[in-house]
Amino acid sequence: MHRLPTLLSGIFLVFLISWLGLVAYPVTQLGRLTPVPDPETGGTLPAVYGGQALAGQRIYATEGCISCHSQQVRQTSVTSSDIERGWGTRPSVARDYLRDSTAFLGSRRLGQDLSNVGVRLPNAKWHYIHLYHPSAVCPGSLMPAFSDLFIVRKIQGQRSDEALDLKGSDAPKPGYEVVPTAEAKNLVAYLLALRHDYPLPEAPVKKAGAAQAK
Amino acid sequence: MSHHTLPHQLVPGHEPVDSKAIDASIRLPVMILFGNAIHWLVIACLLSLVVSIKLIAPGFLGGISFLTYGRLAPMARDLMLYGWASQAALGAGVWLMARLCGRPLGGGDGQGMGGMLLRTLIISATVLWNLAVLLGTLAILAGYSTGVEWLEYPNWASAMLLLSFLLIGIWTVLLFDRRSNPRAEVAQWYLVAAFCWFPWVYGTANLLLIWKPVQASAQGPIQSWYCGSILALWLLPVALAGIYSLLPRLLGCTLNRRNLATLGFWMLLLLGGWNGMERLIGGPVPAWMTSAGVVAGVLFMIPVAIVMINIFGMSRNAENLATQSIPSKFLFMGAYSVLGVGILGALVSLPDISASLRFTGVTEGKTQLWILGAISLPLFGVMYEAVPQLLGRDCWNATLSARHYILTIVGLWMLVGIMVLGGLFTGLALSDPTVSFLNITSYSYPFHLMECAAQLILLAATVIFGANITRALAADYLLNKKHR
Ligand code: HEC
Repeated sequence: MHRLPTLLSGIFLVFLISWLGLVAYPVTQLGRLTPVPDPETGGTLPAVYGGQALAGQRIYATEGCISCHSQQVRQTSVTSSDIERGWGTRPSVARDYLRDSTAFLGSRRLGQDLSNVGVRLPNAKWHYIHLYHPSAVCPGSLMPAFSDLFIVRKIQGQRSDEALDLKGSDAPKPGYEVVPTAEAKNLVAYLLALRHDYPLPEAPVKKAGAAQAK
Repeated sequence: MSHHTLPHQLVPGHEPVDSKAIDASIRLPVMILFGNAIHWLVIACLLSLVVSIKLIAPGFLGGISFLTYGRLAPMARDLMLYGWASQAALGAGVWLMARLCGRPLGGGDGQGMGGMLLRTLIISATVLWNLAVLLGTLAILAGYSTGVEWLEYPNWASAMLLLSFLLIGIWTVLLFDRRSNPRAEVAQWYLVAAFCWFPWVYGTANLLLIWKPVQASAQGPIQSWYCGSILALWLLPVALAGIYSLLPRLLGCTLNRRNLATLGFWMLLLLGGWNGMERLIGGPVPAWMTSAGVVAGVLFMIPVAIVMINIFGMSRNAENLATQSIPSKFLFMGAYSVLGVGILGALVSLPDISASLRFTGVTEGKTQLWILGAISLPLFGVMYEAVPQLLGRDCWNATLSARHYILTIVGLWMLVGIMVLGGLFTGLALSDPTVSFLNITSYSYPFHLMECAAQLILLAATVIFGANITRALAADYLLNKKHR
């Protein structure tokens, strides 16, 4: 190992092992996963994102939501607390990320896991107010206010349907309204599309409500 | 001080060039790398402080609405990784390699035409590196982040970084074959390996995640592999090269148990990439991958233990000897931090512990101990040793150096301690579903508060370091002017 070519070959070979396992294998195996048919709607699972949601995914990336939010429900063999907290009905699997352009797995949970936020919080209006001023709906929230994603404007004639119902100190001056920008609408469309509650062959969902429904 | 020449066994026709000539051949590029690394470090510490304040007062700087946590945190992390650590490692790597190989950069005595051209090329590359860091940082601020953790720079900025690295790295690796010592030191191996790995790791990760992204179902493992590798296979080997080559010379001892050191080298190589998979325990990847990560995380203790055995094997009172100079103090503390990341890493790799602590401050604390401890402390040590030799005189202000050392150590251990402790609390609360999420946020408040204090201490330390080097460079400039 005292000649450069010999040393380099050694380095190359040893390093190749982790490269094959953690780069080549995922690319050739996980990267080739395909959607499965959805028997209920005739579509596919995971469902395709709409145009707005797809654009919203970019905002999620550029605003760095991943610094505080994960998007993965962990295997029950490791911990059941993710599911007990209501962050999902089953653990996440690789196929769940098929439609994403970036897998926002995340490494820190200063905020909740968002893999199923669209199931948990399906109301767009709630999200607008939350993004505009998190503490308005969650007192003491650590989440930053994304007020840049909104515009405050003078009411022209009728108050817009889209205007946020803000109360107290958040409310704009009389005669003014706060409306979401296109970015905010896309981001919320994306959040509402975050639902991984469907069953997959490798990840069946135990229907908790099934017994009661009968 | 500063005249520890690095001794070599001679090969006929390969007599080492005088160390002054070597230093002269690389003075400018290495000083540019060091100087810029330090100023990015100061900025990164400032941003980290703001980030931590935002966790106790989310409204802080709220008037400037684009300065949100989600943009500042990746800016700070990437500045630490690429502006500071990687750049300091480049400078340290070039200097150590040239000195250990007894060769100036570029043929002959380094003063010929070839040497000149090469120097110009390398200096341009250092400028390119800093331009890429600057523009990449501004791109995140302006809302062009890729959203991939640790790889937030847009595709053109990462391409610039890679190109710049290649332009500097190739010459450094090639020096190995022209070295004057027939039996290479382990430090030289570490340097060759590190300089080969960065392009491979950074290139692969950017290609598959940013430039031409693979289907997202495959991205998780690649990203974790990148996070593990960039620390364990690029930055850590350079830091270890500093420890292995300088510490024995500074303490006046010889490094025994060479075979053990060689084993440690190959073990680190083998485990480095897998080590990162611990970041995905329980996640949406095949179970064998995370199992491999667990095994790698635990086995990582072996190369770590070897480093410790090598260091304490030099002399029974190595630790006492090390307290005599600033460079050796930093190198020694760096070695202790390597031990720290080994132990902490092995613990959080255990699935039961990972289950409650994976998404908490413990993970962040471990990353900080890696970057600011195991990697930065040895790099500080190398700088304190290299700069006086490069400038040709004892240029450090002893008081400032001593303060920098103390504040760095205090800030680092406080930061890591608080993050780990806070992470333990939040982790236990998170794994109990009856505790509401907002409740957990309020638990963590005192820890976030103390985190701010620690970040403030670290900022003070780096500002002092910055002042120290600015002082040295200014004095150097005035001195040169007088001579002319
Ligand atoms: C500083 C860290 C931080 C950042 C950055 C952040 N969040 Fe949050 N987020 C939180 C915290 C803390 C909570 C819990 C308190 C609350 O609901 O406000 C939260 C809650 C949420 C919730 C409600 C989840 C639930 O189950 O109640 C949503 C939705 C959300 N965030 C979306 C986002 C989006 C979208 C972004 C990026 C534009 C983002 N967050 C960025 C910290 C953050």
